[in-house]
Amino acid sequence: MLWINPQKAEGLKSAFPSLKISHQKNSLSVEIDKDKVLELLKYLKENPEYSFKMFIDFTLVDYPLHNPRFQAVYILYSPDYNERIIVKTWTDETLPSITTLWKGAKWAEREAYDMFGVRFEGHENLVRMFLWETYPYFPLRKDFPKEGIKDTYLPSLNERDNIPSHDYDPYHTAIPTLEDLEITERKRINKKNQIVLNWGPLHPGTHGTIWFLFDLEGETIKDCDIILGQLHRGIEKLAEDLTYTQIIPYTDRMDYISALCSNIAYVNAVEKLLGVEPTEKAKWIRTMMAELQRINSHLLWLGTTALDLGALTMFLYTFREREKLMDIIEGIAGIRLNSSFLRIGGVRYDLPEGSLDVIKHFIKDFPSRIKDYEDMLTKNRIWIRRNKDVGVVTKEDVYQYGLTGIMARSAGVPYDIRYIQPTDAYPEVDFEIPLGTVGDAYDRYLLRMEEMKQSLNIIAQCVKKLEELKNDKHLATENPYVLPTLQETYFSIEAMVKDFNLRIYGEKAPKGEIYLSGENPRGELGFYIVSEGEGRPYRLRIRSGAFYNLQIFPELIKGRTVADAVTLLGSIDPVVGETDR
Amino acid sequence: MEIISTVVVLVVKSLIFILGMFLAAAYLTLIERKFAGHVQQRPGPLHVGFHGLLQPIADALKVLTKEDLVPNNVDKVLFYLASLMAFVPAIMILAVIPFGDPIKIFGFEIKPYITDINVGLILALAFGSISIYGVIFAGWASNSKYPMIGGLRKAAVLIGYEVALGFAMVGPIMMAGSFSLREIVQAQEGFFGAFIWYQPLAFIVILFAILAETGRTPFDVQEAEAELVSGYNTEYSGMKFGLFPLAEWYIGTFVLSAIAVILFFGGWKGPHIFGAFSPFIWFFLKVFMMFMFFLWVHWTLPRYRVDQITEIAWKVMLPLSLLNIFITAIIIMVKG
Repeated sequence: MLWINPQKAEGLKSAFPSLKISHQKNSLSVEIDKDKVLELLKYLKENPEYSFKMFIDFTLVDYPLHNPRFQAVYILYSPDYNERIIVKTWTDETLPSITTLWKGAKWAEREAYDMFGVRFEGHENLVRMFLWETYPYFPLRKDFPKEGIKDTYLPSLNERDNIPSHDYDPYHTAIPTLEDLEITERKRINKKNQIVLNWGPLHPGTHGTIWFLFDLEGETIKDCDIILGQLHRGIEKLAEDLTYTQIIPYTDRMDYISALCSNIAYVNAVEKLLGVEPTEKAKWIRTMMAELQRINSHLLWLGTTALDLGALTMFLYTFREREKLMDIIEGIAGIRLNSSFLRIGGVRYDLPEGSLDVIKHFIKDFPSRIKDYEDMLTKNRIWIRRNKDVGVVTKEDVYQYGLTGIMARSAGVPYDIRYIQPTDAYPEVDFEIPLGTVGDAYDRYLLRMEEMKQSLNIIAQCVKKLEELKNDKHLATENPYVLPTLQETYFSIEAMVKDFNLRIYGEKAPKGEIYLSGENPRGELGFYIVSEGEGRPYRLRIRSGAFYNLQIFPELIKGRTVADAVTLLGSIDPVVGETDR
Repeated sequence: MEIISTVVVLVVKSLIFILGMFLAAAYLTLIERKFAGHVQQRPGPLHVGFHGLLQPIADALKVLTKEDLVPNNVDKVLFYLASLMAFVPAIMILAVIPFGDPIKIFGFEIKPYITDINVGLILALAFGSISIYGVIFAGWASNSKYPMIGGLRKAAVLIGYEVALGFAMVGPIMMAGSFSLREIVQAQEGFFGAFIWYQPLAFIVILFAILAETGRTPFDVQEAEAELVSGYNTEYSGMKFGLFPLAEWYIGTFVLSAIAVILFFGGWKGPHIFGAFSPFIWFFLKVFMMFMFFLWVHWTLPRYRVDQITEIAWKVMLPLSLLNIFITAIIIMVKG
């Protein structure tokens, strides 16, 4: 765990006497009054002894019985000392906006406003993040029911001559009308000499349902707004009503391109919270699957980005290899895309017979394919001209916006969760982390290509190790928190009782909190879990890499053309399932 | 009497040319799809007829019987005119393209071209330029943002490459001493007489211009599907839509390939190894090779940005074509 040294945290007390330090098993947090919080954050950011320059996440937790009601949680990272810290404060209605310190807090604060109704003083554009402007409720508050508030009369479903097959409730939760959705666009239309181009929500270039608004002068983008929320499913709200195991399929549906990586990030956080240690074999399987998934995800990225830039054939070439990976994943996990392969304490199935041979064949075959791709693109003049100097990210941007994953590494920041906070088998495997020098889209292309080779290297090491661990268990079922396998449930009554208990009451996690992240192909996917000692999380906050990476898009696209927007969006590579959650 | 017979002959000839072009264009779509399929390691059309041989007919039936949607707020006249404006000039270029020398069959002299006027090349250039109006009209009349951007992009590209194209054609014209396409072919004697050996610069510029004019990758900015959905033809449907790709991708590419073959590869000239039809076979073989070259480029490369295309057109291709004129002039002066 990367938490700040407690002695060092004590040192903060000299500057802030009212500071309360809480050192728990899985976290270290400091708590301070609302009016001092901005000062403390500035101190932490700018004091070279602490230098918590990088913004990781901000969220709120609702305690309806506590006064004041909302707990604000800031998670910061210090690249110089490789430490994290949680800063907490309490509020009822307003908080000072920290966008002056970190631009990356813009969307996080909008999301907090959207979900909890806490206003931020000094925020330049405090509008709803995912829901529409005229929606009156704040869904992540504890008093908001999971099924929504049914206040809109929609009788049309039952008004039929013949008897409807279902007796629908005539009252439903409010749905946005077209006017609600167009508020933002209508605000912009008044400007002179500009047209507002609606790029999305359904557009072949946006990689999902993101809605971009470009203010165009000629083909130059003068200003850009992003409207998210078309794929918002409220996973954070749903998770509050589910046991820890039941949440695993929801993590699949966030970043559906790299479902296994999301699974692993989540399950690791829960395991740390519960104190479960997975078996050795499970760890190696997880690492191997994560890397297979990473190659899979990067291949999809390569194909679609090339397709966006007009290279139609690349798409099918990458999908050919991706199909092989899909088959491998299907063979091991049982499902191609949203496999929910992980379980607390291990993985769902043991490796099937022959799977390692298939992977070994893939390892032998794949380098020549990468060479094909590189032959087609790396030295291609058109590819270089389209990608060079598009969307240049600096180190300062990385810290300001909390950019992670390839975006951070292209700017030369060695921020890779596999390296700074290794989980599973990552401490034991040997791999390199490529870093960029310029920070443009071409750098990010080169990094992704190199990362695929490194992933292949890791997979080779995992295969070697897994051949030695052939007869080990894949699930640590002796642990009281781990669901027994089907075989055990059928043949032992204890296992059956345990299965029943865990499925009905959930894994009763000790009271506490944890923030743990995994290296997704799209950046750091972090899970901040608050447990109140129940079988369900009290609050599950998902720190999505794509959400924070996408935030820099309007900044980078200003003054460039629509054609560059495609390149830039491709190189940021967001997945809407993850940005919207 | 003579006028009537001339008119009849011309009408019949034109009909043959137009119908032939239609059929050829339909089967060029099949060739492109098969080619693209094999480039991308998939079989392409396979199920309609033997290896998809009836696919173009099925496609044509489908496109023709589709509902013809016209959006509410379009400029109706221009909207209908646009697809015709794209299509008709492209096919009109055929009027000046000679497919061979006059041949005698059953005592009749048959000229395998519609007309051989002494400004044939300039006419072809003019028709090529008019067909661009189709794209621009389509962009404007659709009353929608994406088509408009597509149309404007095409206009920007057009201004760049038309100049370079015109200047590049001056080289072969100077060497042949004529604007007539037939005389240009006759000026190229033997294998080493083909102008490609003397005008490589002009050939490169013309390749660039043809790719740009027919909207093929790497210059297909006007319909860049990732940015502009489908570009200038976003609002079109049915056969009105079908005419655009037919005109641009197939007839345009085919006809311009034919002009490039006439200018640089000696047209229908070649060893008389196929008997009486030898000139035709050589001509179509050469055109086919050129066409396949464009397909090859199309299915391999990514696309440029529009400002990069105009930059290449003005900063690289135009100076190259001017340099070519200069060199050609010096060589002609020195050799006398």
